[in-house]
Amino acid sequence: MSKPKILIVEDELSLVEALNRKFSQAGFEILEANDGEIGLKTALKEKPDVVMLDILMPKMDGIEAMKQIRQDKKWGKRVPIIMLTNVNDSTTVSEAANYQVFDFLIKTDWRLDDIVDLVKSKL
Amino acid sequence: MKTVYKLSDRILIIIVGFATIFVLSSIFVLRDSIISVLILGAILYILSFFASYFISRNFSKRIMALTFKVQEMAAGNLSMRLKHNSKDEIGYLSNSINELMGRLQTGVAQDVSKHRQLNKAKTDFVAIASHQLRTPLSIIKWYVDYLICEDAGEINPEQKKYLKEVYRSNERLIELVNALLDVSRIDVGTFSIDPESTDIIERAEAAIKVLSREIENKKINLIKKYDKFPLLNLDPRLTKMVFQNILSNAVKYTPEAGIVKIVIKKIERDIFIKISDSGCGIPREEQPKMFSKMFRGLNAKKIESIGTGLGLYIVKAIVEKSGGKIWFHSPSLELLLAPGKNDSDIPLDKRNQGTTINITIPLKGMKRRAGTKKLTSIS
Repeated sequence: MSKPKILIVEDELSLVEALNRKFSQAGFEILEANDGEIGLKTALKEKPDVVMLDILMPKMDGIEAMKQIRQDKKWGKRVPIIMLTNVNDSTTVSEAANYQVFDFLIKTDWRLDDIVDLVKSKL
Repeated sequence: MKTVYKLSDRILIIIVGFATIFVLSSIFVLRDSIISVLILGAILYILSFFASYFISRNFSKRIMALTFKVQEMAAGNLSMRLKHNSKDEIGYLSNSINELMGRLQTGVAQDVSKHRQLNKAKTDFVAIASHQLRTPLSIIKWYVDYLICEDAGEINPEQKKYLKEVYRSNERLIELVNALLDVSRIDVGTFSIDPESTDIIERAEAAIKVLSREIENKKINLIKKYDKFPLLNLDPRLTKMVFQNILSNAVKYTPEAGIVKIVIKKIERDIFIKISDSGCGIPREEQPKMFSKMFRGLNAKKIESIGTGLGLYIVKAIVEKSGGKIWFHSPSLELLLAPGKNDSDIPLDKRNQGTTINITIPLKGMKRRAGTKKLTSIS
């Protein structure tokens, strides 16, 4: 089996690096994007197995990116999307739920290992 | 002043008109026949009666219509204006009411917009705090965790110990930020209560589970007494939050081998929750401040320096907004009278006095409360 591919869309570089290292160690192939627009482009081009999205990002926010990924009829409709963010007012959460978000994680509540485990459970 | 066509004037004109017709025709046309005069008089009398009746009925109808509109304004529709094109009293009154509403609206608008600005500033603070504070906190959390797990290479035990201190402090900061966010959601009034079918005992157990390690470490004797409950209409997250906040205080301030007792029973139309501990209690002079923001008992601070002083404030808001009540006793009668408590060698005033917190929540469930924010300090 080839390596599972994860796309990390996150504008905070130090967070990207931490995620990147943990997921590489766990045997993932990593794709990175530092804003929503690039994230969306990369997602549609590379069709990763899992997408991890931040919400507040330059150019395009995570909710919008998710909305557009879901518009893709085949891959985008089914790909598990995990929101990893620090914004958690319930309007955002319920909006995310409208687009079948797989999980909605608050960064400060999660250890990296637990995030990796969660993503693995989804594959 | 503009000419006003008054109701009384109109009725007077009709009566005078009919009376004139009557007098003139009696004198000039019907002077030979008294019967004709009487008949004409009766007809005119009836006519004038009907004419006045219809005029005043129409008038009453318009007054009623006006009243409804004014009630609608009173109910808060300040931008509504009365339409009218008559030149009578009602037209005049409508004009004055419109003018009054115009002034009122400008005044209220100023107040409301000030209030909105203030609220927005508060909500903005919540949003900024959540994002701006949590981002660096998560960076610290993840990297320190990374080091502690030795993913970035081996570290010596002393280094590990220090890093664990950093990690623990960071967790405290995260907890504080979460609690502050909840408090600000409570204060702005944007937190929501979403009741659904919930097993209250399971919720209590879930909260106990979070604290189980500390309970074990301190060898605390946890006594549970539960009635059987059907599924109740409660917000599962908030219910756990209430249990967890109170129990964590109880465990924190109860010395080793102390007692914590949780009772959940049905009393009349309420769920009655009683959580008692044999801990340090709350000094009498500080009791009035018990539920206020950032309050921490002086004795409590000595025992445990960590604590936000926000837990009970949050609990009180949840309980009261969902239709329940909360109160407490310290010293706790529950445990002072408990059998097997034998510390007679300690003088009375030095003993742990304990605290009992009582909560009632209506059996029919928590009141739903629409809001845009969820309380999150405990997941």
